[in-house]
Amino acid sequence: MLLRWSIAFLLCCVLPWSALAATEIEISAPGEQSVPLALTSFLPDKGPLSAHIADELNEVLVADLDLSGLFRFVEPEAFLDDASRIGLFSTQVNFPQWRLLGAETLIKGTYVLNGDKLIVEARLFDVVNRRLLTGRRYVGETKDVRRMAHAFADLVLKELTGEEGPFSARIAYISNQSGHNELWLMDVDGKRPVRLTDHRSIVLNPDFSPRGKQLLFTSYRANNPDLYRKEIYSGKEAKISYKPGLNVAGRMAPSEREIALTLSKDGNPEIYLLDVSGRIRKRITDSWGIDSDPTWSPDGERLAFISNRQGNPHVFITDIFTGKTTRLTTKGKYNATPAWGPKGDRIAFTRQEGGRFDVYTINVDGSDERRLTFGSGNSEHPRWSPDGRFIVYSSDKGGNRAIYVMRADGTGARRVTALESDCRHPAWSPRW
Amino acid sequence: MSVVPVRQNNAFHKDPKFGRLLLVSLIAHALILVAFSADLFGTKTRYKPPVYYVDLIHKPVLNPQAGRPDPRPVSKPKPEPVKPAAQTVTPAVPREPVKPEVKPLVKSEPKPEPKPEPKPKPKPVGKAVTKPADKPAAKPDQAKEQKLQSAIEEMRERQKREDERDALKDKLAKLRDSVGAAATVPADVPVGMPTGQGDEVGVSALAFVQAFIQQNWVLSPYLIDQSRIANIEARATLAYSAAGKLVRFRINNPSGNQQFDDSLKRAITKSEQLPQPLPQDLELVVTFNLKDIAAARR
Repeated sequence: MLLRWSIAFLLCCVLPWSALAATEIEISAPGEQSVPLALTSFLPDKGPLSAHIADELNEVLVADLDLSGLFRFVEPEAFLDDASRIGLFSTQVNFPQWRLLGAETLIKGTYVLNGDKLIVEARLFDVVNRRLLTGRRYVGETKDVRRMAHAFADLVLKELTGEEGPFSARIAYISNQSGHNELWLMDVDGKRPVRLTDHRSIVLNPDFSPRGKQLLFTSYRANNPDLYRKEIYSGKEAKISYKPGLNVAGRMAPSEREIALTLSKDGNPEIYLLDVSGRIRKRITDSWGIDSDPTWSPDGERLAFISNRQGNPHVFITDIFTGKTTRLTTKGKYNATPAWGPKGDRIAFTRQEGGRFDVYTINVDGSDERRLTFGSGNSEHPRWSPDGRFIVYSSDKGGNRAIYVMRADGTGARRVTALESDCRHPAWSPRW
Repeated sequence: MSVVPVRQNNAFHKDPKFGRLLLVSLIAHALILVAFSADLFGTKTRYKPPVYYVDLIHKPVLNPQAGRPDPRPVSKPKPEPVKPAAQTVTPAVPREPVKPEVKPLVKSEPKPEPKPEPKPKPKPVGKAVTKPADKPAAKPDQAKEQKLQSAIEEMRERQKREDERDALKDKLAKLRDSVGAAATVPADVPVGMPTGQGDEVGVSALAFVQAFIQQNWVLSPYLIDQSRIANIEARATLAYSAAGKLVRFRINNPSGNQQFDDSLKRAITKSEQLPQPLPQDLELVVTFNLKDIAAARR
């Protein structure tokens, strides 16, 4: 026992000395805040060369990864001979060459084109540690090439951040491209738009069900703003709430068992909970003011909504079980269209200042309010991407109203729809 | 039920092994002392890089006297050439005016003698004892006196020089203070900036290593949960040889965020060879965090 104590004492004497010997320094920011990424052109492996396939793969990957804000692309001109070699195994990659260029990550890939059948194989390498980080083989048709690239971009984000990207998801929006305001669906980069409704009326305010298989929207098809539900794959459509007055801004609960909806059947717009067949389960708000635009918290226990019960329209949060309601925003004279972020910590909304709407975000406790959009035009209808990294919104700053995507901190905004038609009310789907 | 204490008596001390164990303990302690005094553990002293004040306006040099016209060096070399001349008789004349301050010492001695004992108490005691003894000896040997005089003179010169150096140092300190106060630059200004740190050779080794690792650290803030940016932190120990090679490293306290920790490992791997050697082996405990980014976002 005494011997043990002696050893312990010895260690106590020695360890602090050895700890004290080192000099301490602090590095409080990285030298570079974007990861240098080398993205090589995809090469044909056993098959005909298709510049179109390679270009499209590269274009999608560059657009997605650039939007993420994580990367700085190493100049393609600077690529060395390793870029022209297929080698998809870490033993075949000339890492020192890439390291010389300053790249920390490397994407290499091949494709096999056999008639209409397409096989794409893509790999992400860690240049510094000379190892394969992730890779995937996609089998499909040539029309799927963009989907394959989006999927790989999601995979890259998952590997590097631990959370999958939202690029394989889709964006629903309202466009008058067909002459009427109809519901459309497109990729997150604005490509492959598909019209979903043909109501030849006014369709507005779409929202995805949490699992992404259905869409809720309001349509004036029956000359009243009624709530509809549409199955995306089958195309089946059902009118689920058609009470007199407004049946707008339907939002499905995370459990998919309830729908929060603004109804004005009694004259004053109030928020109700409906079951999926359209029956009223509960009245959530009861005030003299207008209550509208509900949005669910990710845990499904609270709703944020707009109300002018205290004067100007502001964002309020209510607990659907206790009914306890608190006011979230205090500034501005007109706040609208709140959207609760998927992480649960922030709420995006729009505010009218100086006659113009802009997108803001705020913590759910009312702190850290930030304005995200600036400049001319109205920026409205913000909605979050499923991973909370991005916000999609509509803006008329380019003339016609178009759909824009930006990072959640307001940087990297880019227009994803053309300016020829009027596009509004975007909603980012869950992961597809 | 009764509770019996583990040691009811002090039999522990009567254990025959106790003495042996005590001896082992004492030997171990002695060994520790020997090991530390002989530096067997290679106790690394904290690396303190030479820090010099660098002001780009008032350019400092390692030796402020070097290359500057100095009034004293003119008089300094003179005594030496004088020495050989001292062998001749003639220099004795010019030397006497040179030592006006010494003379009072010498001349004052005969004067106290008429009034012998009452006043010479405080200072001249020593002189009265030694100098009178020297003086008679000096007279016969002028060369000795000259040597003595020159030695005294040298001492005075040295004293003067030291005084002047002190005065110069004071002046420099005052100047530094005034410049520092005027510039109101924080103390940790990087090298190359006014009131920055550094020396004539270059940046301190520690600052250099810090900058090198930071430069190799690549991390996008988008990789980190935004709510964690302000308080995410990891600590790593890095040991560099004097040749600038990373000998070993260890992430002591990982942040818990894999992306953050991976980025550190990459940064350390990229910093495995410094572009230049170090003055000595260097062991660092590096704290990595994102405080600057968090502050910028506030």
